[in-house]
Amino acid sequence: MNANQNGALIQVRNLGKSFGSLEVLKDITVDINKGDVVCVIGPSGSGKSTFLRCLNRLEEPTSGNIFFEGVDIVDPRTDINKHRQKMGMVFQQFNLFPHMTIMKNMTLAPMKLQGISQADAEKEAVKLLERVGLADRAEAYPSQLSGGQKQRIAIVRALMMKPDVMLFDEPTSALDPEMVGEVLNVMRELAQDKMTMVVVTHEMGFAREVANRVMFMDEGKFVEEGSPEELFGSPKNERLKSFLGKVL
Amino acid sequence: MLENFYLMLTGAWESFRASFYLNFIQDDRWHYIADGLAVTLQITLFAVLLGIVIGLVVGIIRTTYEKTHKLKILNLICGFYLTVIRGTPVVVQLLIMYFVIFGSSRIDKVPVAILAFGINSGAYVAEIFRSGIQSVDSGQMEAGRSLGFNYLQTMRYIILPQALKNVLPTLCNEFISLLKETSVSGYIAIQDLTKGGDIIRSRTYSAFMPLLAVALIYLVIVLILSKLISILERRLRKSER
Repeated sequence: MNANQNGALIQVRNLGKSFGSLEVLKDITVDINKGDVVCVIGPSGSGKSTFLRCLNRLEEPTSGNIFFEGVDIVDPRTDINKHRQKMGMVFQQFNLFPHMTIMKNMTLAPMKLQGISQADAEKEAVKLLERVGLADRAEAYPSQLSGGQKQRIAIVRALMMKPDVMLFDEPTSALDPEMVGEVLNVMRELAQDKMTMVVVTHEMGFAREVANRVMFMDEGKFVEEGSPEELFGSPKNERLKSFLGKVL
Repeated sequence: MLENFYLMLTGAWESFRASFYLNFIQDDRWHYIADGLAVTLQITLFAVLLGIVIGLVVGIIRTTYEKTHKLKILNLICGFYLTVIRGTPVVVQLLIMYFVIFGSSRIDKVPVAILAFGINSGAYVAEIFRSGIQSVDSGQMEAGRSLGFNYLQTMRYIILPQALKNVLPTLCNEFISLLKETSVSGYIAIQDLTKGGDIIRSRTYSAFMPLLAVALIYLVIVLILSKLISILERRLRKSER
């Protein structure tokens, strides 16, 4: 099988993941193209986060292959650390490094992993901080920031590595309601800049407005996918209909 | 009445002075204490450093195994080391080190003691480091790995600085215990602080004065270290904000 036939950025082939006897992901095959903004929705426990975490192997898949830019990253001989540099990830719990200033949080990885000079890294960091309106917090510590600010920093920290895809694992779920908007705004701008994004989210409004593809996951499988208009406008799957009935 | 009290006081003072003179001044006996203190501090300092190195390596191996199930054999060896060291008295370990392991070689006693106490301390420090590493949120490891750091880089830049900060006070307390534990060095005829006081006692046949001096010196060092720890703790808390 030629992995790179259709030129998709991420090609997931027959991906399976089990925790013990519990089968969380079942034989998933899906392509994510360059420039896609994919929102993954579904009930909790359906495997959305596990799917996302398999994409950069924070979870080891039990079976199947994942080709990222043509390279099978499930292959144990692949240097996953190299490829993770090109896959930014944003977590529900932000996971900023509490013992470092915001500036250090952002410049650590590019300096240590990509050999970028401190001056260049800091210049890039200031640029990104200005973009998300937090330039004045560069020398603050994470504990001095609000949840929304922390998540915006987490996003630009990942952007510092100039990734080819950004993975978002329920980025707004741990936020107070009034802070959700500021984070979604940053993500919206990112999408407008043609960043490829895979977003696990419960924000249906965001999915509807920003995504070009919405995928509905249930019991370890994508049971329906399509444009937001199709999926939200005329859902076919019964489970999706009842899910949307509850969340909308 | 008052005169009697005065006489009693001066009598007590005189006998104290005489005893002090006999035990510390005469024949320069204070040297036993001073030299002993130097040996005690030397053993403690180097054993602490050895303990940190051993403890860090063992602690990382143990947590790595717990999290990733890698390094199985090394983990088994570490588990054996921890069981043996923490399950036997330090005096016995010291005697084994001197009379069995280095029994046939003519080696300086102080390095042997440093080795024995360092290996002993390493076992306790390893468990301190292990709990420190475990106390760091697992999301920190994931965040580091997701940026492209490998396991050891994430440990070094992200996990260990936080773990170290969490355990620093506990670690310092371990070193206070170690300082006191070195008082058994006399078992292999090292003239440390305790032994120094004991030698004076055997010369002057008076136990009170030399042992009081020895106890006071340990106490003062421990108090100084405790004070430093509490200053350190306050500093650390401030940097958390």
